[in-house]
Parts: sequence; structure tokens; C-alpha cells
Amino acid sequence: MESLVVKNLNKKFDGKEALCDINFEAEGGEFLSILGPSGCGKTTLLRILIGLVRADSGTITLDGKDITKASPDKREMGIVFQNYALFENMTVLRNVEYAMKFRPELKSKAHETAMRLIEQVGLSEHINKYPSELSGGQMQRVAIARTLALSPKIILLDEPMSALDAATRLSLREELKRIQNEMHTTMIYITHDQEEAFAMSDRIMVMGNAKIHQIGTPQEILAHPADDYVKSFVIDNLNKKIASLMKYAGGAQ
Amino acid sequence: MIKKRTFGTSASKLLIAVFFLAAVIYPLCTLLFKLKDADLKKIFSSPLVGSSIVHSVVVSLTATVISVTLAFVLAWCMMRTRAKLKPLFRVLLILPMLVPSISHGMGLVILFGANGKITRLLGLSNGLYGFWGIVIGSVMYSFPVAYLMICDILQYENAAPYEAAAVLGIPKASRLTAITLPYLRKPLINVFFATFTMIVTDYGVPLMVGGSYKTLPVIMYEEVIGRLNFDQGAVFGTLLLIPAVLAFLADIFCKNRANLVVTKPFKIEKSPLRDTIATIIPALVSAAVVYPIFSFVQLTFAQKYPIDMSFTWHNIEATVDKGAMSYLGNSIIIALGVSVLGTVIAFISAYLTSRVPSKSTRILHLLSITSLAIPGMVLGLSYVLAFKGSFIYGTFAILILVNSIHFFSSPYLLFYNSMSKLSGDLEAVGATLGVSRLHMIFDVFVPTLKSTILESFSYFFVNCMMTISAVSFLANAFTRPVALMINQFEAQMQLEAAAFVSVAILAVNLALKGIIALIKHFTKRRTRKV
Repeated sequence: MESLVVKNLNKKFDGKEALCDINFEAEGGEFLSILGPSGCGKTTLLRILIGLVRADSGTITLDGKDITKASPDKREMGIVFQNYALFENMTVLRNVEYAMKFRPELKSKAHETAMRLIEQVGLSEHINKYPSELSGGQMQRVAIARTLALSPKIILLDEPMSALDAATRLSLREELKRIQNEMHTTMIYITHDQEEAFAMSDRIMVMGNAKIHQIGTPQEILAHPADDYVKSFVIDNLNKKIASLMKYAGGAQ
Repeated sequence: MIKKRTFGTSASKLLIAVFFLAAVIYPLCTLLFKLKDADLKKIFSSPLVGSSIVHSVVVSLTATVISVTLAFVLAWCMMRTRAKLKPLFRVLLILPMLVPSISHGMGLVILFGANGKITRLLGLSNGLYGFWGIVIGSVMYSFPVAYLMICDILQYENAAPYEAAAVLGIPKASRLTAITLPYLRKPLINVFFATFTMIVTDYGVPLMVGGSYKTLPVIMYEEVIGRLNFDQGAVFGTLLLIPAVLAFLADIFCKNRANLVVTKPFKIEKSPLRDTIATIIPALVSAAVVYPIFSFVQLTFAQKYPIDMSFTWHNIEATVDKGAMSYLGNSIIIALGVSVLGTVIAFISAYLTSRVPSKSTRILHLLSITSLAIPGMVLGLSYVLAFKGSFIYGTFAILILVNSIHFFSSPYLLFYNSMSKLSGDLEAVGATLGVSRLHMIFDVFVPTLKSTILESFSYFFVNCMMTISAVSFLANAFTRPVALMINQFEAQMQLEAAAFVSVAILAVNLALKGIIALIKHFTKRRTRKV
């Protein structure tokens, strides 16, 4: 199984610590969430993983291969951005096909691959539509299919649900898990939403103030929070949500 | 690897910066250095100079106030009422932007001149020369620009405060002072400065109808063209820089940043009285705009205007014999050259400043909009002083260059704004998918910005066809654009020829606008069908 190993990663922006001594591993086929409030360094970490930002120190290896200094397109990783950043001038089909045309090994089968992926994300009937004609959830699925086209070992997702409404979010959670199970792709999912992280992840990495506070399965974190920060940011917040739900449910009775 | 990626963009930034230094900053500095050769004391003690400065200020202020007020009323009619025939007015009201300022002056001569149609009709003793002639001509020439700027402001005005005011029961009159004016103050100051600069730096209208009422651009024109007195021209040019630089600063400080956020659009209820008034006003202005143009057409095709109005080709044939076609050809060559060169440079500059952030971005952005602060005449004179004797002097190349710079900032800002609106992660997507920057530019940015590219092309083209400012000192007998012939024909009392030229420029510009509209329409339909 493929695995990602991150060791001693550090990053400063203008003297301010953005990431401090980050160490973790992600196993092949795993769904790992990086959970933390805005400004905790999770997006910086994601950008370093994909190669858009260079770390000050530390190493990243994927399947034993050092990719710390590799360019973004040589890392066998894909990324889905918060605003999806689709190509507005291209149809769904061309969005998915486009990048394959620059890879000699994929070029000949670009069309077939794109058709298959679009079917897998459930957009077959929208194949000739432009991004402006799609809903937020559909755009996100195009972005995922576009990333899958290069068959990356890992897909990074940067708060991809934050622009969607609550109902779409719930249904897309299922969808994302289904796609992951079918494709056996490792997913690293960034979020600030505790509920989302707990509902989807095999493991959760809790971040705060440029540091990792705990990595574990949802059950482990609930049962044994590593410190006060995890307790307050994860458990207390979850409890509040549950309590307020109970209150409304109680009020309805 | 990251270093290698940025090398290309850094090199492009440097190249663009060098281009602007050579094409804007260097000529401007040459002009300013020329000041030391001029006898400032003697120039400023001349009564002609003193009076022309006063004339310029007074006449431009008057025209600006009228122009902006008129523009505001028109914009209000078009944006805040249910006036009838809006699509028609939308076209007619901007027609004056498609002909040279000098044509507006000539229109006044034909209608109100000593032997003018309306002068004779009303039995006036003297024509409308001098102060009021310049005011009316300048208003005609400048109000469409002010009108478009104000329409843009009104379009982005937020309806929410008005709805809140209505709910709170605040009377309508108070809403104007409490909401409208505070919100519009800054952008309106900006419009006022821009319009003032446009009027105060124009020589076309005052040259035609000013008579003995001389303004600064007119004496600058006479000094440089008539007496080849470049030193004195440089002094006047520097004076004209002052309002333009002020307008430039006003533009930077008065830009309403709130415009960028999405606001609540206005819902316009029916109101028969208001809507009727709002239809009559643009109708009257449109008539005033169309009438002179109609007179040009009459003049062009009449046997002997206004006595014998029977149809003839003779005037056109006579004008063509005077070489009008080759000058029209010159104009089209220049306009096409500028449209291509200007659009390419504006696209590249805007791409570099909006999509490739770095420390130098700010400087490059400033360089790109500097041309906004240089009146065309001043830019033209700077080019004469800087490039006289060099290999490009006297060629089409220098005319294309000077116009590209002169009209650069609007298309640049158009590109800059459109590109800033695209997702900031597109480059990152390209990088992670292994798509190079160049491929991203040609496969994503260019097609996405197709309509902006067309608008930029059309803006450069139309303005080049009608401009008489930057090119006036630089064109020679072989390269002269046709707009500059209007003045010459008029001076030789060949009003028919001058009218034909104005009509021809209008026709070419309308044709281009039509083609652009067709391309837009065609590509849009295809996009939807697929």
C-alpha cells in the first residue's frame, strides 16, 4: 500500500510560525481529515504537500520516494480547491480531459477516461454543460473528476464543502466516501467543521496554532483527547452541537 | 524548479516595465527637460497666454458642470426609470463618441455659424462663435463619456439603503441628500475631474468655433504646428499636465472600492409621469446629437448646401480626388495596428499585475495607468521631442505606438478587473495538473476573456479613428490619419469635404461596432447550443 510520510516540517511567514514540527503518516486508501480553526496552518500544510509552497525544513516522502522538492505536477497528488477553480470556458468533458492531453501516456485514452470518470461522479447527463450552468455540488464533482483523471495516489481537498448549502453537503459526504471507496484513493481532507471530520474520516488530525495536537480515529479522539485544546475545540464544540440539536428535538415533542 | 517557473514571468515583467519606461516616462521627461530652454518669464508675461489660461479654465468649468449634470440626468433616466425606447437611446447617446471632437465644432459651424442653418432660420446677426460655441461643442463631445461613467456608478449602487429608507418612512427628498449624494460623492468627483480634463485638453472644438476666444490647447497647437516653437509648446503642454495629473490622483483616491462587492439591484416600479419625462429628455438629447450628424450627411450629398439640396456624388468624388481615401486608409491601418498591439500589451500587463503577484506588481500597475495622466497633445509633443531624428519618427509605427500608449489605461483596467475576478487558484490548478503557464493563458485565460478582448479591440479602434490629439504633431503627409483632414478642409472652406470625412469616420466606427457585436452574438449562441 502507498503511504505518505511527513517529517519535521517547518514553515515561517515573515518570522511568524505557520507550521511547527509537523510529523504524520497517511496510509494508502485512507480518509484523513485535517481539522482545525482558520489560521491554524492547515491550508499552508496542504500547499506544502502539493508543492505550491516550499517548506523551510523537513521532508515529504511518498512510497519511499522523496518528493520534498518535486514540482506540483510530479508528486502524483491532486488537489480540489475551495472554489473549485474550474476552467469556465470549457465544458465538463473538456475540463476533465484537458490535463490528460499533456501526458503522452494518457493522451490516447483521454476521452474514454474522462467519460468513465464523469459517469463515476454521476454527471453523465451534464457532460456538455459549462461550469456556469452547474450547481455548487456538481462543480465540485467536476473538480474531483478532473483531479482523478491523472490517477493520483493522493487527493487533497481544501474545505471543498464550505461554499455549499447544508443539504448538498450531507449528500456530497456520502458521494465523496463512495468515490473514495471505488477508486481506493487516499484522501486528505481539510476542514474546520468537527461534525464533517467525524462523519467521514478514518482518522483525524487535530491542528491548532501551527501544531498537531492529536492524530487518531474519531473514537480514539472522543475517548482520549490528548490535551485541553482538543477537548475544547473538538469535544466541547461537538457536545454543544449535539446539545442544541437535542434542545430543538426536545422542543418539537 | 520553482525558480525556473518564475523566470519567464519575471523576464516579462521586466520587459513590460522597460517598454513603459521607454514609451511613457522617457518622452515625458524629455518634455519636462525642455522647460529649461524656455523663457518662462517672457511666455507668462504675454497677455495672450494669460488670457488663454483664464479662458481655458472658465470655459472648461462651465462646460464640465453642464456636461456632468446632463450626463447625470440622462444616466438616471436610463438606469432608474422605465423610460421607453431605451435600446435606441443607448446607441444614439454614445454616437458623439464615435466622431472626432473637431466634428462637433464643425457641426456647430454648420448649424450656428455666421452662415449657419439655425442662424439664418432664427435671423441671428452673428454666429455662435466664442465662449458659448466652445461650451456647447465641448458638452456634445464630453457628455457621452460622463454619461457612461455615471451609468456604471448607478449600476453598482446598492438598493438596500433605499428600501430601508422607504420602510422607515424617510421622505424621498431626504433620501437624495442622505443616501444618494453621500454614496455618489466620490465617484462623481472622479467623473467631474475626468470630464474637465477631457474638455480642457481638447483643441478640436475651440479651434473650430472659438474664434478669437483662444484656449491653452489652441495656442499650443498654433505654436507647435504654425511656428514650430517646441520650447513654448513644452511649457503649455506642462500646464495641461496639471489638470490631467489632478484627475489621475482624484481617480486613485476617489475610486469607490465598495463597487466591487455584489449589491442589491434596484427594482423599478411604474410611474407614468416620471417615465414620460424620462423618455422625453433622452429623446431631446438624442435629437440634438443626431441633427448635426444628419447635417453632415446632407452636406455630403447635397448639390449646394443649403440652397440646392438635390442629391449628388460630386462632393464625395471631389474629396476622394483630394486623397481622402488614402488618409482614411492611414486611419484604418493605424487603428488596426493599435487595436492589436494595444490589446496584446494590455492583456500581458494585466495578466502580470493581476495573476503573478510579486513586489514589483504595484510599480507595473502604476506604470500601466500613468498614461491616464497625460493628455494626448502633451504625449504627442513629448514624442516629437524624444524621438525626432530616430528611425521610427515619421513612420506609422510611431503613430501606432503613441496611440497605444494614449488609450492604454482603459483597456488595461478592463483586463485587470476581469482577470482579478477569475479564481485565484487557477494557476495552482495548472501547476498541479502539469499544464504550463503559456498553455493556461492560451487555453483558459484567452477564451474566458474573449468578450473583454473584443471590447479592448473595439475601444482602441474607435478611439484611433477619431483621435486628433496625440497624432497631430507626429503625422506627416504620408501617414496622416483622416481625422486631421477635417481641420484642413474646413480651413480651406471645403465644408462638404470636412463633413464627408466626419461621416466616413462615423461609418467605419459603426461598422466595426457592428462587427464586434455580431462576433459576440455569434460566439455566445454557439456556446449555449453546445
